[in-house]
Amino acid sequence: MSRWSYFLRRLVLAIPIVIFGTTITFMLIRLGPIDPAAAIIGLGDPEGLERIRTQLGLNQPLWQQYFDFMIDLFTFNLGQSWVIEPGTSAYALIVSYAPRTIWLGFWSVLIALFVGIPLGFYAGLNPNTGSDYFASFGGIVWRAMPNFWLAIILVTLLVQSQDLLFGFNWAGWLVPTGIVGPPPIDFLAEPLGAITDPVDWWIRKGGDGSFLAALKKIAPAALVLGSASMGNEMRLGRTAVLETINSEYVETARAKGVSSRSIVWKHVFRNALIPLVPIITGEAFLLIGGSVLVETVFGINGLGVLFYDAALNADLPLLGSLMFIFILLIVGLNIVQDLLYTLIDPRVGYEQD
Amino acid sequence: MSETVSDEDAPLRQRIADNPRPAIRWILGALVLVAVEFGAFLGLVFRLLSTIGGLFPDNPGVALFSRLEESSEVIPTLLSRSLIPNDGFYNGQQWVDTFLGLEPAYAWLLRVLLIYAYAFIWLGWLWVGYRTFRQHYRYADWTPRDDVVDRLRSHRWGQFGFVLVLIFLVMALFAPALGPTTAEANLRQPYSHYTEFYDEETDEVRNVTVGTANLGSASEGNPDSNVGPWSYDDFGRFHPFGTLTTGKDMFTFLAAGARISLMIGIVSMVGAGLIATGFALLTAYYKGLADLAVVIASDSIQALPVLLVLILASATFSGTWLAELYNGAVMLIAIFVLIQWPFLWRAVRGPAFQIAEEEWIDAAKSFGQKPRTIMRKHMLPYVIGYLLIYTSLTLGGIIIAVAGLSYLGLGITPPTPEWGRAISSGQPYVATASWHISLIPGILITLIVIGFNALGDGIRDAIDPQSGSGSGTAQESKADEAAAGGGGA
Repeated sequence: MSRWSYFLRRLVLAIPIVIFGTTITFMLIRLGPIDPAAAIIGLGDPEGLERIRTQLGLNQPLWQQYFDFMIDLFTFNLGQSWVIEPGTSAYALIVSYAPRTIWLGFWSVLIALFVGIPLGFYAGLNPNTGSDYFASFGGIVWRAMPNFWLAIILVTLLVQSQDLLFGFNWAGWLVPTGIVGPPPIDFLAEPLGAITDPVDWWIRKGGDGSFLAALKKIAPAALVLGSASMGNEMRLGRTAVLETINSEYVETARAKGVSSRSIVWKHVFRNALIPLVPIITGEAFLLIGGSVLVETVFGINGLGVLFYDAALNADLPLLGSLMFIFILLIVGLNIVQDLLYTLIDPRVGYEQD
Repeated sequence: MSETVSDEDAPLRQRIADNPRPAIRWILGALVLVAVEFGAFLGLVFRLLSTIGGLFPDNPGVALFSRLEESSEVIPTLLSRSLIPNDGFYNGQQWVDTFLGLEPAYAWLLRVLLIYAYAFIWLGWLWVGYRTFRQHYRYADWTPRDDVVDRLRSHRWGQFGFVLVLIFLVMALFAPALGPTTAEANLRQPYSHYTEFYDEETDEVRNVTVGTANLGSASEGNPDSNVGPWSYDDFGRFHPFGTLTTGKDMFTFLAAGARISLMIGIVSMVGAGLIATGFALLTAYYKGLADLAVVIASDSIQALPVLLVLILASATFSGTWLAELYNGAVMLIAIFVLIQWPFLWRAVRGPAFQIAEEEWIDAAKSFGQKPRTIMRKHMLPYVIGYLLIYTSLTLGGIIIAVAGLSYLGLGITPPTPEWGRAISSGQPYVATASWHISLIPGILITLIVIGFNALGDGIRDAIDPQSGSGSGTAQESKADEAAAGGGGA
C-alpha cells in the first residue's frame, strides 16, 4: 500500500468517526433530562414554554431533530446560542472566544517542547547520573500533579510573590500585568505593527497589549497546561536518546573516530527526535480537556470556560457546535500525525495498522 | 496460574492431599490473621447480607442481619477504635479515656502503624502462599510467569509504586479505623454525636456535640482560627492533617475520599478492562470486518475529549436519579467505562494480534479446539498482562479527573467527601496559615498518581523487558500520555 492510498484510507475512515462521535454528543445532550425551553424562560409560563418548544423544534420527533442537528453541523450551520448570549450565533461566540485559547494552547505546546525535550535529551546523554535522576524524577512528579491544583498553587505563589519568592515581584516584572484574567492579545489584530512599529508592538504599548505583556500573562497558565506533556516528552526524549546512543551506527561512527560532538548533534539528536514528533499532535487531547480547568483557575475567558458555561446553562446549540469542532480538531490532528509519522520515518510500517 | 499448568497431571486437590503439611501451615496463618479481626469480618459479612437483603422489599432478614451486625461489634478486634481509642480529653494532669493514657497523637499513630503492619502481613501471607505453591504443588518446575515475577522482584521503581498504591488502598479499606474520628460522627452527623472536653476555666469535663466543637476548630486562614497538621484543637481532639474550613477533621475526610476515588477508579477499570479484553480477543481472532467495526467505534469515542464529556454528562444529568445513585459515583463509573475501554482496547490490540499470529494458535485450530477455548486458554493470559499496564496508568488519570470534576463542583454530590472539593474549599487560604487544606490533598493525589504510574512501568518492564519503558510506537506512547493525564484535568 502506498503512502497516498494509506492517507486516503485514513480520510475515508475519518468520516464515520466524525459522524459517530457527533451522534454520541447528540445523545448526551438530547437524551438527558435537560429541558432547553425551561432553561431559557423558566417554568413559570406554560404557554411561553410551549411556544418556545415549537420555535426550537423540540416538539418534532427525535429522529427528525437528530437529522436536523447533524445536517446543520455538517454544513457548518452552527445555529444560535440559546442561553448564554441569546440570539448571538454560536459561530460568532466561538470566534470571539477562540483566540485566547489558541494563544494559551500555542504557548503550552511550545513550553512543553522547549523545556521537556532538552531536559530529556540531557538526561539521556548523561544516564544514571545525579542530574539524570533529578531531571527524571522531576518529570515524573511534574506529570503526576493535577493541573488544577498546580494552577492554584502557582496563582497563589505569583499573587504573593513578594512575600513568598524572596521579594521578587511577578506582577511588576518587565511589564506590569495582572496575574489572573485574559491575556491582552488585541495586538494580534494588526500583525503589521511588528515591523512598522516594533518597539510598541513587541514590548511597550503602555505596558499592556504588547506581545511581551500577553506572553507574560499567559506564561503561568501555559506552564500548567503543558505540564503533563512536558513530563511525558522528557521521559520519551530520554529513552529515545538512550536507544539511539546504544545503536550500532553510533558505535560505528565512534569507531571511525567521529568526534563526540558531531555524533551527538548529527547522529543522535536527529534520530531521537523521530518518536517525539507525533507525540506533539497527541497533546491536543490534554490541551482541549485541560483548558476548562486551567482557564477557570486563571480567569481566562476562552473556549474551555465557554464550554463549561454552556454545559451548566444547558445551551445546547453552543454545546453541540463546540463538541463538533473539538471532534473535528482531534480527528484532523490524528490524520496529520499519522501522515507526519510516515513522512518522517519511512521504516514505520503503515501497512500493519 | 494454577489452572493452566495442572491440566494433564493430578488435580491440585490431589497434590495437596499427597503433601498437606505446607498448605496447612499456610491456612493456619490465614486463620490467625482472620481471628484477630474476627469481629470486623463478621460485621462486614452481615453488613453485606443486610445490604443485599435490603434490595428486596419486606425482607425479614434485613432486621436480623443488621442486629447481628451490631452484636458482632462487641467481639474485640485488634484494629478497632475501641481497643486503641484516641478520643479522650486532658483533665489538667493527664489524658483520660485514651489508650493507656497516651497522648491522642501517639494512640492514633500506634493504631495506624498496627493497621499498616496488619495489611503488610496479609501481603506477606499471599507471597508465602505463592512460594509454597511454586515449591510444593506446581506441576511445572518453571513457567514464563516465574520470570515476570522475578523481574518484578528486582524492579525497585515498580515496587515503590506498588507500596505507594498499597498504602492508599489500605487507607481506603480501613478508613473507618484509620481516622482519628469516624466519617459518620465527624462529617455526616456531627450534631448527633458528642465529644467530651476539659474546660479549664470551670475546671470540669463538659460534653458538647461534635458539630459545636467543629464550629470552634475551623481553619480559616488567620493564625487565631486555624488547626494545622499534627495539632490539637481547643477541644483536645487530635488532627493529623489539620481541619477543613468547616472544622471537620481532614484526615477522616481524605480517607473517606480515598475510598470513593479508588472505588470509582477500580470499578470502572474492571468494567472497561472486561470490554477491552473481550473486543481484543474477538478482533484478533476474527480480524477483518469485526476489527474494522471496533476500530471505528473506538476511534469515535476516542475523538471525544474525556474531560469535556464528563463535564457535559455531569451537567446534563445533574439532579436526576442516575446522578444521585451512590452519590453520583455510579454515573461517573458508567461514563468512565464507556469512554475508557477504547484506550485499553487500543493498548492491547497489538499484543493480541501478535499472539493470534503464533503457531500454537494455528495448531489449536487444526486440532479442532473451539474459538472460545482458544481465546480463553491460549490468548487471554498474554493479553491480561498488557492490560494491567494500561489499567495502572489509567487509574491515576481517573483519580485526577474525578478530583478535577469535584473541584468544578460536578461529579460526586457535595456532602460526600472528595479530594477535589477539599482543594477547592482551601483555595482562598493557600498562602495563609491554613495552607494545608489545599496543599495536602494535592500532594496525596500526586503521590497516588506517581504510585500507579510507577507500578505500570514496573509491570511493563516485567512483562516485556525489551520494550523499555516509554518507547514503542506512537500509538502506544500516545495511549500512555492520554491514560496518565486524566484527560488534562
